[in-house]
Amino acid sequence: MLLQRIFASVLLLACAALALMAWPYQAQFSYEPVGPRAFPLLMLGLMGLGLIYMIFRPTPVVHSEEDPQLDRETLTKIALCIVLLLIFAGTFEPLGFILSSILIGIPMARLYGGRWLPSCVIVSLMSVGLYLLFDKAMDVPLPLGLLEVLEN
Amino acid sequence: MDTFGYLGQGFGVALSPYNLITALCGTLIGTVVGLLPGLGPINGVALLIPIAFALGLPPESALILLAAVYLGCEYGGRISSILLNIPGEASTVMTTLDGYPMARKGLAGVALSLSAWSSFIGAFIATCGMVLFAPLLAKWAIAFGPAEYFVLMVFAIVCLGGMAGDRPLKTFIAALIGLFLSSVGIDANSGVYRFTGDNIHLTDGIQFVVLVLGLFSISEILLLLEKTHRGQEAVKATGRMMFNFKEASAVFVVNIRCGLLGFIMGVLPGAGATLASAVAYMTEKRLAGTTGKFGQGDMRGLAAPETAIGASACGALVPMLTLGVPGSGTTAVMIGALSLYNITPGPLLFQQQPDIVWGLIASLFIANIMLVILNIPMIRIFTRILSVPNWALVPVIAIITAIGVYAVHATTFDLFLMIGIGIFGYILRKLDFPLSPVLLGFILGGLMEQNLRRALSISNGALDILWASPITLGVWVLTAIMLLMPVLRIWRKRSAQRRALADA
Repeated sequence: MLLQRIFASVLLLACAALALMAWPYQAQFSYEPVGPRAFPLLMLGLMGLGLIYMIFRPTPVVHSEEDPQLDRETLTKIALCIVLLLIFAGTFEPLGFILSSILIGIPMARLYGGRWLPSCVIVSLMSVGLYLLFDKAMDVPLPLGLLEVLEN
Repeated sequence: MDTFGYLGQGFGVALSPYNLITALCGTLIGTVVGLLPGLGPINGVALLIPIAFALGLPPESALILLAAVYLGCEYGGRISSILLNIPGEASTVMTTLDGYPMARKGLAGVALSLSAWSSFIGAFIATCGMVLFAPLLAKWAIAFGPAEYFVLMVFAIVCLGGMAGDRPLKTFIAALIGLFLSSVGIDANSGVYRFTGDNIHLTDGIQFVVLVLGLFSISEILLLLEKTHRGQEAVKATGRMMFNFKEASAVFVVNIRCGLLGFIMGVLPGAGATLASAVAYMTEKRLAGTTGKFGQGDMRGLAAPETAIGASACGALVPMLTLGVPGSGTTAVMIGALSLYNITPGPLLFQQQPDIVWGLIASLFIANIMLVILNIPMIRIFTRILSVPNWALVPVIAIITAIGVYAVHATTFDLFLMIGIGIFGYILRKLDFPLSPVLLGFILGGLMEQNLRRALSISNGALDILWASPITLGVWVLTAIMLLMPVLRIWRKRSAQRRALADA
């Protein structure tokens, strides 16, 4: 309940900020009655109304048996996973697809309970395999990064 | 009638060897994607959009591929719900109720093939319905002006909340988030940059594929972290693989009934497969009365939701193709795919590109038949896939998702954006917000704004054009009914509780 109230309040603040951001949006030469800011403002307004209602009357989240309450351990894992994904995005171009996916794939496999050796083998094979499949066979260009030296 | 002429032409398109192979690949990929936890029809289809584009598939083949993947995913979801008792998505919850007990009784192969058969009949009924009604609806929809379209989209959004059941408010908020997100980027009418924060990568808006994969794949990856250990063993599919004539005829009436029901539910925006399968199961359970062994492996209990799901999946294509208004998450993704090819679905599509429409309809038939046939030799391989552990699967899902996003624009900004959206999606999910309304809102948002502005340009700013014609008035009435439905339902529940309290 509290979490929902906090979330609704944060989102409400975001709505207000975005509405402020949208306020100066005006077309220099207008040849139609509705300008560029009406629609986003309308949506933000409606969302704001819904969120205000939610702050006062939050609906309880039903927990099924399958999703247990979050504990500290899972939260750390989730944070780690997000960090890994961010590293992946950051190194995607500089290191190249194969190296960056090996770099984050192995710790990620460990995070989900894999053992060292199988994780290393499968992730490495998969990275190279996916690179060949997508870049060579399906014409989706992927960066080679550091491995470009091997190309020629 | 020319409808049948067109349908024949459609079969001509779908039966060309190239498209047949495309459909076969699509059903195979789709089944595997549907089987794996963490990937469902929405991200399966979304992942393939940039890839189909990169492969240079012609638009009709690309659509056939996506439709085949979609059907394959539905089928794959069935395998995990019958053999593992783990529903892949909300709509297959009903399948587990009788499918898993059947598998436990040693009828796993029969359950799987029967469900494929039921889904085929459902899809067949719905496709017939589509062949009959879609051209009529398209003809009627040509008379729609921007005001009518705007009101129709309002109706579609409201339907989502009205039908969603227990959490209408959260559904609305989710849809509004999507509607708002669609306005990010340069405004086509005035050239004003909206909410871009001077970021060059946001000028043409948030990419659809980025949004879908962030919302569905990344948030799912994070959710899977909570369930690192898997408790259940898959039931081995041994013995007879095919249902026999007696079993098929025992559920035939159920198939017909639920097929019709599913088609109607599928056409209505927002209702979709989840509601259709639930209603079908409940209705059949009530009709069977005490003779049924529902919940203990009754074949009717398996056939009913599966037929309804198959029918509603095809029914959902009707509003998408004729009106350009998607009714479900997956059809929203398909509209996204079509717009990549510069095809705008709508009434004119039937006249201008009959090859695409009828080719798609015909390929739905073919993909369904393929699934029934594939089931028999492939089921052992598919069950093997079920035992792939999460630690090997998740990194691969993450990597493939990144490839899909990178394939759109080849910028790493999109990767960061996807992660951001994924975290937001994870929070939404943890707080019990449904995610597919965000997607629908995002697709409808651009159309809605354009139509609203066009309508008000016609009337020179007077708002009464929005309720001037009989069509708009009719739709507004329907919208009001939909808005009242959750209120009524809550009110009825409360009064029932009060009565229960008074009785106690």
